[in-house]
Amino acid sequence: MRDIFFDLSVRSVRLNFMRSLLASIGIVIGVVAISSMGMLGANMQLSVKQQLSIDVNTIMISSDVVRTSTTAGAPSTSQGVTKSQFNDIKNAAGTNVVIPIHRTNTQFTIGSTDGRGSIYGLEPDDIEKFLTIRVGEIPRGANDAVVGSNLATNFNLVVGTRIKIGPANTENRPTVRVSGILPARGFASDGVNTDNAIIVPDTWYTNQYGDKDVYDQVNVIVKDVDTIGAVETAIDEKVNRKTDVIRINDASGRLTSITQTLGTITTFILAIGGISLVVAAVSIFNVMMMSVNERVHEIGILLSIGTEKGEVRRMFLYEAFILGLIGAVVGGICSLVIGYSVVSAMIGNTTYFFMPDSILYVPEGMVIGIVVCIVSGLYPAWKASNMDPIDALRSE
Amino acid sequence: MDNCKTEEEMKGSEMGENPLIRLVDVSKVYRLESGDFTALNHVSLDIMENEFVAIMGPSGSGKSTMLNQLGILDVPTTGELSIDGKNVSHMTNLERTHMRRDTIGYVFQKFYLIPLLSAYENVEYPLILRYKHRDTTGKAAAVLKSVGFDEEMSSHRPSQLSGGQQQRVAIARALVNDPKIILCDEPTGNLDRKTGIQIMDLLAGLHQKGKTVILVTHDQKIAEYAHRTIQLDDGRVVGS
Repeated sequence: MRDIFFDLSVRSVRLNFMRSLLASIGIVIGVVAISSMGMLGANMQLSVKQQLSIDVNTIMISSDVVRTSTTAGAPSTSQGVTKSQFNDIKNAAGTNVVIPIHRTNTQFTIGSTDGRGSIYGLEPDDIEKFLTIRVGEIPRGANDAVVGSNLATNFNLVVGTRIKIGPANTENRPTVRVSGILPARGFASDGVNTDNAIIVPDTWYTNQYGDKDVYDQVNVIVKDVDTIGAVETAIDEKVNRKTDVIRINDASGRLTSITQTLGTITTFILAIGGISLVVAAVSIFNVMMMSVNERVHEIGILLSIGTEKGEVRRMFLYEAFILGLIGAVVGGICSLVIGYSVVSAMIGNTTYFFMPDSILYVPEGMVIGIVVCIVSGLYPAWKASNMDPIDALRSE
Repeated sequence: MDNCKTEEEMKGSEMGENPLIRLVDVSKVYRLESGDFTALNHVSLDIMENEFVAIMGPSGSGKSTMLNQLGILDVPTTGELSIDGKNVSHMTNLERTHMRRDTIGYVFQKFYLIPLLSAYENVEYPLILRYKHRDTTGKAAAVLKSVGFDEEMSSHRPSQLSGGQQQRVAIARALVNDPKIILCDEPTGNLDRKTGIQIMDLLAGLHQKGKTVILVTHDQKIAEYAHRTIQLDDGRVVGS
């Protein structure tokens, strides 16, 4: 059988149904605001994290040794990753994909227009491991090349267009033929910025620029992003045995900072949602004070016939809890519907909606709604329980 | 507290019997902006177990203050009030609450039933306060029946009952925890003559069953039911 004080609270809520309902609507709005804002933030974070994770599975390795030229005034250049270091890296990386990269800057001429950009030397088989071709195909012939999207747009390149590589005033410049065009890649976190670049087969590159056994960069693409730290340590231990000869980087720091920023944004929008709960709390407080003031005489009866103060407090806290519960349950249901619509409209992707990080905002919002109600009811309940029974009985 | 109790017991043994209620030089002073108002002025009084006492007096004589003191809704400003051997001034708030619940049954002029509870629940309520769970013994129903309340009406809310029925429920509520003292404040004040007599017969019956009944009234006819009348005037006992 139920607690009689709970029954009394239920009956009081029922007696003042409209007023209680309106106060609960405040909580409904608060719960919906917190839950949907939270879910929106969580879905945004999860979706961005997923997008960025595709990039952050790459470890970038470059030489840590700077070659000082013996000729005075000549610029110092990086020595590059040597063939033996590359083999060590490959051993340490295990089954993960290891891609050696050559890179330099060059001038070129397309038709009669001169340009400037990066030129990458990659094994044709490696290209497909981390790049997609938008138009055409990977280099098949020795003089084939793929070009970045900006370059293709700016110079109206199509498959078959020929590009002369080297400064415009040199004679007998080598020519490559465009076999494929890459999609826009933006600022790539794996250090291979292809948008303004020409990618040629590694053999072509080393024939032109030398450095056959020295690479400008080596990328390791790990299969499981969570093992990136372990792979980095393995490479470091293997290659940087005596002194640091290679520098190992990854983009996970960037991912962390972006997710942290998104986390801050989520907290901010949650705080905005929280404001509506504060407003709801004021309305619950108001309704509870009304309930106490209307029932002064009844409180007087309860206290005079031996009801403990704690029991009177309990009765009013139950009432606040009931208002909170109604608000939280309705709010929880509305949150699912509204949250789903908001996430679907603003992010366009509801894949992560039912994941714990996102959906847990609904019970969290509900609990916060109930707690807010109970906290709002504390003072009215305290006031009721501390009434003087004689004064309370006298008020009719 | 123990010392007090021992003193009381010693006093009691000298008198041959312990008074159920003892007021020794009790005063109640209200501090008002216009100055102090003495509602009870050095009142000393014993009420023995199984007495039927009427407290009478004109308006403003201190009847209500006396009732509040006897019902331990309030404590004396000075003097000693002991109920059932316990000095009220020395009790904690919670102990006084428990004494109101267990030792005293209240019957008010305006019934003072809890409007949100049914007749049956109003009677069951003190049992719940005492035993912390709903009544499974059937005691509430039995007491309600014993005061002549129509069983079919027990699910009705107080607002659906007549004055006489409400007062029967109120008496049942006062009785259900088997208190030693029944404290009545103008119990027939809101009832017609005939119902008033029925209610007074009921109270007289309770006295016969061993309860101590204290009645506050200004109605001489009602006071005649009591075996002793205490006259109050200007906060003092002027006749007993």
